[in-house]
Amino acid sequence: MTTRDLGLVALMAAVIVALGAVPAIPLAAGVPITLQSMGVMLAALILGPRRAAAAVSVVIALVALGLPVLAGGRGGLAVFAGPTAGFLFGWVPAAFVTGFLAMVLEATEKSTLVRTAQLTLAAIVGGIVVLYVCGIPWLAFVVEIGLAKAFMASLPFVPGDLAKAIVAAVVTVKVRQAVAIERK
Amino acid sequence: MIASLARPGSSPLHRLAAAPKLAGLAITATALFFVDDPRLLATAFALGLTVARSTGAHFAEIGRDLAGAAMALAVLGLADWLLVDGATALAVVLRLGAIALLAHAVTMTTTTAELFEVLERLFGPAERLGLIDAGRAALTLTLAIRFVPLIVEEAQAIREAQAARGLDGSVLALAVPLLVRVIVRSEAVADAIDARGFPPERAATAPPRPPAIRPEIEADTP
Amino acid sequence: MPLSSLRGAEFREFDFAHVSPTGLTPRPSPSKHRAPRGRPRVVGEGNEMSDTNPERAGGATGVDPRALAQTIVFSGVTVVRDGRTALDRVSIGFEEARIGIVGLNGSGKSTLLKCIIGLVKPSAGSVSVDGRDAVGEARAIRRATGFLFQDPDNQIVFPVVGEDLGFGLKNHGYSRAETADRVEAALTRLAIRHLASRRIHELSGGEKQLVALAGVLALAPKTVLFDEPTAHLDLKNRNRLRDVLQALPEQAIVVSHDLELVADFPRVVMIEAGRIVRDGPADEVLDHYREANR
Repeated sequence: MTTRDLGLVALMAAVIVALGAVPAIPLAAGVPITLQSMGVMLAALILGPRRAAAAVSVVIALVALGLPVLAGGRGGLAVFAGPTAGFLFGWVPAAFVTGFLAMVLEATEKSTLVRTAQLTLAAIVGGIVVLYVCGIPWLAFVVEIGLAKAFMASLPFVPGDLAKAIVAAVVTVKVRQAVAIERK
Repeated sequence: MIASLARPGSSPLHRLAAAPKLAGLAITATALFFVDDPRLLATAFALGLTVARSTGAHFAEIGRDLAGAAMALAVLGLADWLLVDGATALAVVLRLGAIALLAHAVTMTTTTAELFEVLERLFGPAERLGLIDAGRAALTLTLAIRFVPLIVEEAQAIREAQAARGLDGSVLALAVPLLVRVIVRSEAVADAIDARGFPPERAATAPPRPPAIRPEIEADTP
Repeated sequence: MPLSSLRGAEFREFDFAHVSPTGLTPRPSPSKHRAPRGRPRVVGEGNEMSDTNPERAGGATGVDPRALAQTIVFSGVTVVRDGRTALDRVSIGFEEARIGIVGLNGSGKSTLLKCIIGLVKPSAGSVSVDGRDAVGEARAIRRATGFLFQDPDNQIVFPVVGEDLGFGLKNHGYSRAETADRVEAALTRLAIRHLASRRIHELSGGEKQLVALAGVLALAPKTVLFDEPTAHLDLKNRNRLRDVLQALPEQAIVVSHDLELVADFPRVVMIEAGRIVRDGPADEVLDHYREANR
């Protein structure tokens, strides 16, 4: 990792934290969304697999250090044993897969619309599928409800996460038009 | 800097070193997952309350810190009750509640600096395995802590500016400028870190040092 | 007078035939690379500067800045970044205690400064500092050459003042005790000891700039490079920084839009579109700069 990478990783981790601190913003349908989980998708789509995984690891380390960095001011070791800890640790593989897919899928010569669709797909596979695969088993285990019911319990969050994936892709395309940054 | 959830104090838990506290927490939490007897779990929960209170924090403060966790736990307990049965719901709530209280007791009595030292010690073996560069990892964490308030402020400033232009509540209007600024800033930050001699040289290769300019001149400087 | 004619006639590039491309050969004799030919110099071989104005030369501090001044040599340096030519075949030497650099935004001022400590690598040509190559021996150069960035927020790495000042020292292998000593000395020197345990986030812009400078001075550099040091400061803090700068015994190269800051410098260089278009005493160059950009 170069110093440039180090700077990007640290500052993107700070962005993920900052997005947890700004009040929820109402999305198109009027449903408010917290921006923190979108921050993870954004970090992955912009930075690429390795640096994004590093950035979310930094956020997780800050949680462990007792800092209230998660949305709603949550933080500290209690989070790690909570029912949603799987979704927190799942950020690392989710960010890696999202970033990797973004790197492979995005065809820069295509139109904005096509690229947005490609990045949305990356965010859905990494930021939703991979994340839920990590989060649901832990939820099922600690709450003792079994995988099927844990899956059902997670479904209500899918529409919001889909919306975040689309917004993250749109934002990424715009950001990359403004600054050149290579994924790695 | 972000304010840690730790509170100053001199309770027994405050005086205990970070490493044994963390080890104790990990062992207790793991063990509780093997306990199903509601009476034992209720005891553990009561113990969690006692330990958390022994740090000097009032129940009201503890409740405020753990409000999010408590709410999630209540929802899950309810789901458990409806989907599985009452006994499981009780066991789950007591177990997770006890762990959350104990974990928070550690968080409340251990400073970020102490935890950072433990983390740095954990970096050691990871470095020997070639997984990470401990110096860089530590700097990355420090840098993130340093920049959180700055970027939170930047995000708020952007939201205010957008509100003035009638773009209130647009995710795009916040995220795009924020990220562009952060990427540009990260380059300047990296340059500054390099300019200040990072990464550290090995002591063995360090050339002789220039003499320090002593503050004889202090009287003349403003 | 049109600028193009100036560039061709008076401001010819220097003759650097005697400097090796890597800059590793013995230091070129000062008389040869110091100035374009056929133009009177204000800063010459003598000691006019300390004689005529001991204040600004650092005489007030009892340290002769010429004892610290390094010889910085650009030989045919071209920098192309993102398809844009930031510096265009720049050849120039610096060895005065005070050098100002002026130019419009995007003219290449900051790039020039960053080349000196190897933060920007020339696409062609080379930069040397006291005979050391700026790219190959960047570490040694950075030890003796501090850099004050425009926005102190980008330069300060640690959340607390005292910790941050130790960062450079730690990187350069100083022991814990020595680091503490030097941090203390740097804080005292800039009269900001009361800030030692403050959080960076709570400081004013001016205080942050002084903290960043203290972090640079703690390493006892020979030269400090200033990249628009007053851009983020209010008038009071700007004046304070000017006073600090004037009393600094170290060699200082100052890039600034704040022309008054460099107005009494013995030498000011004007850059335009990546080329040196004027080089001489402050009043002469600044008059021209103001005239050209009315």
